[in-house]
Amino acid sequence: MAFCIAVIGKDNAPLYLATSDVERELDLQYHVHAALDVVEEKCLIGKGAPESKELYLGQLFSTENHKIYGFVTNSKIKFIVVIDSSNIALRENEVRAIFRNLHMLYTDAVCNPFYIPGEQLTFKKFDRAVQKLMSGNV
Amino acid sequence: MRAAGGLVQSNASVEPVMSRLDYEQNALHHSCLLVLLRGVGPSRARILQRAFEKVRRVNNIKVTDSSGTVRTVYFRFIHDHPVEHNDWGDFQTHRRLLGLITIGKFENQTELNELCRHHESLKVRYGSTLYESRAIFFGPDAHSTSNANPNAIGDAQPALQTIGENDANTDLTGKEKMAQIHGRLQDEFTTPSNFKSQAFFYREQDIGMDLEARVADFLNALFWVLESRRLERSREKADKVSLLLAPFEKRDFVGLDMESRNNRKRCVGRVMKNLADLSLQAGLLDDALSLYHNANETLRSVGDSLWVGACEEGLCAASAVLLYPQMRETETFHRNASLQETGSSPLRNMPEKWRTSDATKKINAPAVSTGTTTAASANYADAFNSHSSSCSSVSSILTNNSSSSGTPTTSTSSSSTSTISVAPHSQRNGELPGNIIKPEDITNYYRKAIINYSKYRHAATIETEAALKASRVCIEQNRPLDVAMFLQNILYINLSMSESDRVKRFEVITELYQQIGYQRKAAFFQRLAALKHVQQGTQTPDWTQSYRLMLGSFTGYLLSLDPLEVLENAAGWPALQIDLVQSLISAARRLGYSALATRHMTFLLQTQWDNMSAAEQSEMAVQLQNLSAQCEGSPVPLVLDNGTVIPPANLTDLPYLTQLAVRDLPAHLRPQRIKIAKADSGPFLFTPIHFNSVDRRDKKKDKSKIDFLWVQNDICEVCLTLRNPLPFELAVTDMRLLTNGVVFESLPQTVVLKPHVLTQVSLHGKPIETGQLDLQGYSTHTLGIKSNCRLKHMRGRYFPPNYVVDVIPALPSITIKTSLPQSASFSNMNSADLVVTSASLTLYNGESSSCIITIRNESNTLPVEHLEVNINSNVEQETQKKMFRIDEQALLAQLPVPPLSTIEFELLIYADADFVCPIPTDLINSFGPGASQEYGTSSLSQYSNVTGQSASLPLRVSSPQHRRQDNISVHSKVSGTQHLISTLPLHPDGPGASFNSGSNVHSAQNSQHVEAQLRFKYSGGQALVEGFCRQCAVSFNLELLPSTLITSWDVLPAEIPSQFYLVLDISNLTAQEMSLNYTDNKNILIEANESCRVPIPVDRCSLEQICDARAAEVAENLERELCFRTQILSFSDALSKLCSTHIADRVKINWLLTGTDIKGIASLRGIFLSHSMVNLTTIAPLQWGISFQDTVVQPHSELICTIGQSAKLTINLTNQSLHPLKNLVLTIKFYQDYLNGIENYNLETRVAISGPNRITIPILEKYEQSQHNCSVIFFTPGRFKASVECATRPQKSSSILTRSCPEAPNLSQLEKKSSSPANSNTISASGLDEHQAHIWKFIPPIEVTVVEP
Repeated sequence: MAFCIAVIGKDNAPLYLATSDVERELDLQYHVHAALDVVEEKCLIGKGAPESKELYLGQLFSTENHKIYGFVTNSKIKFIVVIDSSNIALRENEVRAIFRNLHMLYTDAVCNPFYIPGEQLTFKKFDRAVQKLMSGNV
Repeated sequence: MRAAGGLVQSNASVEPVMSRLDYEQNALHHSCLLVLLRGVGPSRARILQRAFEKVRRVNNIKVTDSSGTVRTVYFRFIHDHPVEHNDWGDFQTHRRLLGLITIGKFENQTELNELCRHHESLKVRYGSTLYESRAIFFGPDAHSTSNANPNAIGDAQPALQTIGENDANTDLTGKEKMAQIHGRLQDEFTTPSNFKSQAFFYREQDIGMDLEARVADFLNALFWVLESRRLERSREKADKVSLLLAPFEKRDFVGLDMESRNNRKRCVGRVMKNLADLSLQAGLLDDALSLYHNANETLRSVGDSLWVGACEEGLCAASAVLLYPQMRETETFHRNASLQETGSSPLRNMPEKWRTSDATKKINAPAVSTGTTTAASANYADAFNSHSSSCSSVSSILTNNSSSSGTPTTSTSSSSTSTISVAPHSQRNGELPGNIIKPEDITNYYRKAIINYSKYRHAATIETEAALKASRVCIEQNRPLDVAMFLQNILYINLSMSESDRVKRFEVITELYQQIGYQRKAAFFQRLAALKHVQQGTQTPDWTQSYRLMLGSFTGYLLSLDPLEVLENAAGWPALQIDLVQSLISAARRLGYSALATRHMTFLLQTQWDNMSAAEQSEMAVQLQNLSAQCEGSPVPLVLDNGTVIPPANLTDLPYLTQLAVRDLPAHLRPQRIKIAKADSGPFLFTPIHFNSVDRRDKKKDKSKIDFLWVQNDICEVCLTLRNPLPFELAVTDMRLLTNGVVFESLPQTVVLKPHVLTQVSLHGKPIETGQLDLQGYSTHTLGIKSNCRLKHMRGRYFPPNYVVDVIPALPSITIKTSLPQSASFSNMNSADLVVTSASLTLYNGESSSCIITIRNESNTLPVEHLEVNINSNVEQETQKKMFRIDEQALLAQLPVPPLSTIEFELLIYADADFVCPIPTDLINSFGPGASQEYGTSSLSQYSNVTGQSASLPLRVSSPQHRRQDNISVHSKVSGTQHLISTLPLHPDGPGASFNSGSNVHSAQNSQHVEAQLRFKYSGGQALVEGFCRQCAVSFNLELLPSTLITSWDVLPAEIPSQFYLVLDISNLTAQEMSLNYTDNKNILIEANESCRVPIPVDRCSLEQICDARAAEVAENLERELCFRTQILSFSDALSKLCSTHIADRVKINWLLTGTDIKGIASLRGIFLSHSMVNLTTIAPLQWGISFQDTVVQPHSELICTIGQSAKLTINLTNQSLHPLKNLVLTIKFYQDYLNGIENYNLETRVAISGPNRITIPILEKYEQSQHNCSVIFFTPGRFKASVECATRPQKSSSILTRSCPEAPNLSQLEKKSSSPANSNTISASGLDEHQAHIWKFIPPIEVTVVEP
């Protein structure tokens, strides 16, 4: 369902990145990286009204093959999901659902007392769950 | 954003699509008149650069129209224009090429002809749209043709002539005069006959001031043509207009009913739109706006999407012209940049500016623009004014309008619809027309336009350009998200274009993203462009461009060229960074820049080491090795062609330094202060209290300061611990120290590091100067890369940034040799590290030897001017002085030692030892007189029959002292005759032990080791002046073998009162026969391990000495009492010591091992004398004078008297001491000695004494004599003896010391030897402590033989 799910830290350093296609991982990383500009811009805009702040940023941009969606938590952790453009069946609500689930997974992972914020997320459980999320069977 | 429906497919057979995108276009170009500015002829772009710039500067003119309004008309100069773009001129009039200026340079007529041909051919090419053209020709310098003075030419005004119909200007008469002097170019050269254009001729070096005026004139002409076209168009009747078509539409309308209402509207709408375009170009913005609005409505009603789009775009353009005039200025920059593209530098288009913030952008852009505009317009205005004044007659239209420049006037123009309100530049903000599109709506209009365009496949170019224009406007509006949207949209536009165009598109997108500060996006597209350049299948991969672009995308990935900066930031996406650098490396390699490839690879290893897996690390390292095989890397900056500096990269962590220790010099070379400043440490050596924390912080801060010194010209060492993180062996060659400060000669080192193993490496070097040396790190050469690894760049290891070592002036160094063999074992004394050589020697106790020590000065230049010798050893200072002696004077006399020469001196060694068995003092004291007597007796007697009595000893000795019991018991277990000697409580000869007799009794008569160090402090040269020296030492290992031992001793009175006999048991502990010389003329031979007893006559200790001793002791006691109240030394101890030294001083026993020349002297130092012995060794204070029957009694004299006869006994006592004697009791006792050990004192029936036999003398003053007389009557015959003794009776005395002559048989023999006439004073009391009892006896006892009458 999703090509790639990335968790990006406050300082825009990658915390976690999972792709469905290992060979294209680097390419996807480039895309995700490029998407960060828009995420930052959107965060900047949202700064004015914190109460109305929407965590879901919507589609950041799209290319021939991908649609890239963004989500930012209140602690400025960014989630980026790359989705196949050709998959028209996927509705935005489903993308939102992916982000919601991802947010929960992330929160669970970060609750691990052995995790230091800002470090890479290397938990197997988290990884498994994200892979599942990516393949679309939550 | 794209139109939802499918594309409106128009005829695809003809492709009137614009072949090339104009990426530079922005919204304001809609209002510009297009002029082709072209250099012609052989390229001399550099020379003509200034001419181009001058022309370019004239990009707008102000025109006053017939209604008196001043219009500003803008021009756009382009370098190239595809002819087919003109076809779109109906669709958007600004795409039509209206003017042509060629600039050329010629040297001769032929070239001029060529230039003219070029110009004409261009004219023909764009003939359909061209209004007018000009040619600017630069001719050869005057000197090359006629004039010989080039200076004159330099000053000369440009000679300007025009050829043509309308302007034989005569106002430049002055200039013409000048020109005539030099000859006019056009006189020399003539244009060919088919050249119909107007041309300006200039000398090469003179670009005339009037060039701008000429150009403005030309532009003016263009404007008026345009204006006439506009008027023409505006006058067209609505029902007569023909349909305007976009190029690809031509076939769409074939056969359609053009007269239908719909199509009529379409025609009208399109014409209106066209008119709007023209109005916009002609500077009538308000007209244009309203026309666009009208056209938009008209066309929308007929569903003409393409033209609706064009109207919308036109609206945006017109609004943008009003809202954002400053965009023009940025545009001129772009033009210039694009012109200079002829330059070959690959990195020209580096990202020049960041969007720092909205504010700066808004502020900066106008500032810059106003600056340039004012300059340009002022320039222009001058030219224009002068020109217009000069040629006022030419254009009649222009004449009447000098007054109304500023005021907005309204007048109905010839067009039917609108009123024109001219808004001058300066006032636009005040009154914008009401139908202008609001800034926030511009985006929407653009969006709509793009959607409309997107319905037509052939309008892709238009669409793309519209998107670019839109994004540029959005940049101006500071709406980055919209920019991103438009730019993103460009990628969707399906436009068949060449690869190079695609790349160009990416680059433009990159540039725009950079302008809004989307560095990541920019980098993304930059990288895409870079990849496109070298895409597979490309015929001509352009690696140079690819490399340039990749380098440009560094910032987007938070990479910097400087590795240190990257390490500092440690940000970005490592995976992407690694990938990017790798692509860069391959690009560099393809380019053949091996140096760059190596550099980038080094950079990659240095910066991304931590982000790579072990496998990647080793792979990269191998790659680096391969790269560097082509070109070695060295730590110098590389400069690219375009001036970009690539800073050096260093393999700082390859190998990985884990530890760095600056080593002190070896101890014997270490410099020291000659005079050590006294450390004022006070009584407390350590305190945990730190009174000020500042102190501690200082210490920490100065971590880099090394607290020892290095010496000039001396090899010094730094020790590194390195780890090789790679899985293969790493050869590191040419490792050197990196230093600052004083000149330092670093010695290269090469190591091969095993994988993952810590390796110690020592780097050496030699400071050449004195001063501060700053150790900064080291340099390596590994994997083909030379690196400078500085400590400050090593992260995660808490190294100080540098180490500072002080270097002092050079010191000489010496080597030392001894004449003795070196010892096998090393000493374990203090500062053993000073030892440079050793010597060993074996001596018998008491033996003397000597050793020659040779000192060689090894330094080449420095003399040894200062030399100090001292000796340290593990023996007492006193003993040491006896053992080692040096003639220091002689040694110092040999100084200085010149370089490379030697001196010698002699060290005398004497094997000093104690030869006397110790008798523990406490033992004797506690046992009292009886014990002591017994001891003396038994020890002697026991020794005489050595074999039998060993068992008796432990009993005696061990009982009082538990401390000693252990020792003794150990020995007592050892049975057998050969150990008997050792079981005796002998005086151990260990020098150090003699003062602690008790615990060392056990130390056997084995060899004794003495370790000594002969320490030298030496210096010379400048260092001596500064107070430094070096220290080294010779270690001496002496083995002292036992020679003789005095196992026991006693004191006997001698025949002369001034002497006594010291009786010694001397045993030979060597394995050889020993000859002993104990007095001047007496020798005795002792077999190995045997002993013998010798008497030695010794002078008694004089009373004066005793008195001195006593006085000293009293004083000392007093002092002690006052100060410490500690135990007072007993007087007898002092006395005993005194006597002991007395004996030791006088008695020297020389021994000689027979058969060899080994000889020595045994001293009696440390001999212990019991109280009674002391009495004998000193001269007694009481002098006896006894006479029997008026005859003075001599020792061993026979006294005879008869039974019943009274015999008179007179006893005289004289106090010879310096002190009075108190409480003396004189006792006379007769007894019979049966000579079998029984003495019978019960003689009441045999002898009677008249008068008391106990007399008390209360006090006997100094030199006072006391006499006692009595009579004795013997009743029976026989041999009687009389003991006469005098005792002091202390008040509280409890113990009485008695000392009777030992009466053991063996002793009596000795007694016989001693002829003792004068020892009537056997009992000597010297000194008289009132608290101690003394008994002086008259020895030997008086013997009286009683005979029958």
